[in-house]
Amino acid sequence: MSIYLDRSRSIGEFVPEPDDGLIICRCEEITKGEIRQAVHEGMWTMTEVKRFLRAGMGLCQGQTCGRIVKGIIAKELGLEAAELPGNVDRAPARPIELTILGNEGEQ
Amino acid sequence: MKRYELLVVGAGPAGLSAAIEAARLGMKVAVFDENSRPGGQLFKQIHKFFGSKEHKAKIRGYRIGAELLSEAERLGVEVHLNAVVTGIFEFMEINVMENGELCHYKGNAVLVAAGARENMIPFEGWTLPGVIGAGAAQTMMNLHGVRPGQRVLMVGSGNVGLVVSYQLLQAGIQVAAIIDAAPQVGGYGVHASKVARTGVPFLLSHTIIKAEGTERVTGAVIAKVDEKFRPIAGTEQHFDVDTICMAVGLSPMSQLLAMAGCRMEERRGTVPVLNEYGETSVAGIFAAGDVAGIEEASSAMLTGRIAGTAIARKLGYLDEETFSGEYQALKEALSRLHEGMFSPENRGRRDLTETDEGIPLSQSLLKNGYIEKEELTRFPGVVKQKGIHPVIECTQNIPCNPCQDACKFGCIAVGSRITKLPEVAKDSRCTGCGMCVASCSGQAIFLVNEDYDETGASVTLPYEFFPYPKAGERGLALGRDGRPVCEAEVISVKSSPVMDQTALLTIRVPKEMAMTARFYRAKEG
Repeated sequence: MSIYLDRSRSIGEFVPEPDDGLIICRCEEITKGEIRQAVHEGMWTMTEVKRFLRAGMGLCQGQTCGRIVKGIIAKELGLEAAELPGNVDRAPARPIELTILGNEGEQ
Repeated sequence: MKRYELLVVGAGPAGLSAAIEAARLGMKVAVFDENSRPGGQLFKQIHKFFGSKEHKAKIRGYRIGAELLSEAERLGVEVHLNAVVTGIFEFMEINVMENGELCHYKGNAVLVAAGARENMIPFEGWTLPGVIGAGAAQTMMNLHGVRPGQRVLMVGSGNVGLVVSYQLLQAGIQVAAIIDAAPQVGGYGVHASKVARTGVPFLLSHTIIKAEGTERVTGAVIAKVDEKFRPIAGTEQHFDVDTICMAVGLSPMSQLLAMAGCRMEERRGTVPVLNEYGETSVAGIFAAGDVAGIEEASSAMLTGRIAGTAIARKLGYLDEETFSGEYQALKEALSRLHEGMFSPENRGRRDLTETDEGIPLSQSLLKNGYIEKEELTRFPGVVKQKGIHPVIECTQNIPCNPCQDACKFGCIAVGSRITKLPEVAKDSRCTGCGMCVASCSGQAIFLVNEDYDETGASVTLPYEFFPYPKAGERGLALGRDGRPVCEAEVISVKSSPVMDQTALLTIRVPKEMAMTARFYRAKEG
């Protein structure tokens, strides 16, 4: 079993840090403390944190914060960022207006 | 649904190069780019490229971009701008958002050359206006003609941080300092030196702590870090700046490949697993350029050409024999770029102590951004001789050799391995033409004449700042560290089309300053 999935492992108590108020996901205004807290509430993957907090679900689709969020979750779990799977990529890769999505090109 | 033989995502150096190869062999190609201008990063790269002739060395990036674009157009490649590819689906179908519609295209092959995005690091105040990516600063200056600020702190000493710092200076913006958490300058020593000699301090083992200001950036606080990159209390330093530029690395924009089901791996960012021709684990989907692993534009053009050629072979436009010949040549050109101190396999290494030739590296260059005069004499480009002669302050094994071709008199030798340090012949027949000075992409070549007159020496240096000084003008000569060392008189400023906007500024300094004076500054007021 991948280490990040072993939920029986203890990661210790949530310990507040002085920079917990730092905004990490700028689009959705999610702070570092909220992400760290979410890990302690059981959100151990990027996907879980994203669905729980909306970090990475804004206009830029995690282009800026994705890497940082991953680093914060990994650190909280005592892992290297590379050990943690990233977000699942799906179409549309960029935000798209519904009027365009519904406007299929004639060609 | 429109059909093409090859669909290319991204009109940067990799995408255009691949499109050109495929179209040249008779394929019907469409290229899509989400930006309003093609060329990717090329059009904002106003510096001269490294490498050798086959890598378009000593040509400025934007000129290479223009060349690629006109070649693509000549070959009938359709370039769609403001065209955002939103997904890659089964059977080589892509969705493109363009002109207010969602259009469907189908190809026999798809090449993803989507490039990279800039990394950010969070710190107090990092969301304030005025904290920007170095690439964003470059876009503002070089594409839109807008200064991002008046006084900038650069965070990151890799090539992006160094090159953009220099371009900020060229745009008339002050650079307060270049900082890096690492203990050594990350980019080419020659890039660091050309910034350091203008007087920009390098602070290694320093990180940004805080952007000050309420509405926008009004200052920055940095601090020294320990070996685990943790800030050391009590070492804080304040800078009055209105802009903080972040040059802390790039990440591949590989989402389209991941969603297409290509096997991905973590290698300094999420990248596709590719075979030697750039094909992903999904047959028919290829990747080239930064999206497949961060390098620079010269490699991107080559990986693009390799992929374009391989796609042509796969689809029957190129026979096996011709392909293997072309592939071999491209692969060799790529491997020539992948040698030396900054090769992909040496990336991040801090334990290199000497050059390939066995010469100890300049430690000052790695720590301060400039070489100490005392360290110079051990390098083969620095030879003392009578009369005018080149002094080549190129001390790291980087892939570059235009200096060798520039000298018609055979004074400069790099050899066939382009990462070798250039050597100046002992009894060079230098005429003082200065072509080597103008051709050096790293601005590391100077002409020195210690016998200029009774008491003075002349130093010719590469100069890329407007307005040019005028002959007869008096100012200050600066040392490699950017500190004034003596008075200097401008003897001449030469510029010609072949030098491509690198002017030759010749100053007269006291004889004993011939090997110290390396930059010129007009007196204030």
